[in-house]
Amino acid sequence: MPLKAVLFAICFALATATAPVFAAQTVWSALVIAENVPQPAPIPPELTKLEQTLKELFGYNQFELIGQSNKTLKTGQEDWLANSKYFGLHVDARGESDAGYTLNLKLYKENDVLLETDASLSRASPLVIKGPQVGSGQLLLVLVVKDDEQTSVHRRRHAQPANPVRTGFNRLRRAVRGLFR
Amino acid sequence: MKTFEEKWTAWLDEKLSGKELEEFEAALPDLQVALAEKRDARRLGVFLKEQLAAQRLTNEEFFSHQIRERIARETENDSPERATGTTWWTIPRLVWCGATALALFLITTFMFLGQQESSEQSDYLTQILKSQVNPVDSPNATVSIFESKTDNKVTVLWTEGLQSLPADYAAK
Repeated sequence: MPLKAVLFAICFALATATAPVFAAQTVWSALVIAENVPQPAPIPPELTKLEQTLKELFGYNQFELIGQSNKTLKTGQEDWLANSKYFGLHVDARGESDAGYTLNLKLYKENDVLLETDASLSRASPLVIKGPQVGSGQLLLVLVVKDDEQTSVHRRRHAQPANPVRTGFNRLRRAVRGLFR
Repeated sequence: MKTFEEKWTAWLDEKLSGKELEEFEAALPDLQVALAEKRDARRLGVFLKEQLAAQRLTNEEFFSHQIRERIARETENDSPERATGTTWWTIPRLVWCGATALALFLITTFMFLGQQESSEQSDYLTQILKSQVNPVDSPNATVSIFESKTDNKVTVLWTEGLQSLPADYAAK
């Protein structure tokens, strides 16, 4: 009987320890208008971490979301759209690679494709695309991978190297998957 | 020289004959009583033969099968695993199997982890694999890629020469 209890405890510990490894991830994609105004509005919370970088890169003092989308990736093969009134950002996820999710991005102005890009979006490295000039401002496309669960842990992960166990597990999983392809 | 009892038994079994038979019957005090006794003895003998004869077994194959099964059962009960009523997957064996599997998993994971360490840094950065601007709307547009110098590790796809649009396009 004590042996059964020990066995159960080991299984339970393993199950709870491996659960965060499989946490779903969300890709946040946004259409942002950057411009200089006398009284800038507060930056949207999703862009807070990037505020300084965006200001330094583009030289604007206000960043306004005109369209956004949160997509939770389960298979890595999903596609979705972030829309504003005139622009559309179509994102087509085409699986995972060593560096992150492989995405095909298309920026639409109404029905015209303005820009098409294939990118490997890393979990720890946001992607910012400079779009066309719009009035006195600039259209920006922003894509960020974030964990659905454990937001605080997510923030720490972006500031530090990724969890080595998780990284190792992902590499093992990809290697095993590669064997069966 | 046969005794009277021997001759009596032989007479009952009708094994006396000739002169010996005549002399024995003549020596009997009452021949009729002896003959009646002889008939009774013969009748008793026939009865006993009928009742005490060994009964023949029918369905020999059935009995043979029963015996073989019983022998097999007894043989199985003699083996130690059957005697305890358990399978091969005993709890200690399960624990050992689990520990071995866990050890293999950890060894393999850390082996792959070690291989990755040299290329760790590149995995953190978003990579632009291909980029293309609509050549009809913006024939002179160019694209460049760089990474920000800040801690955010932002990858930037920088376009120049895209067609400008009126302020109305900034609508939500």
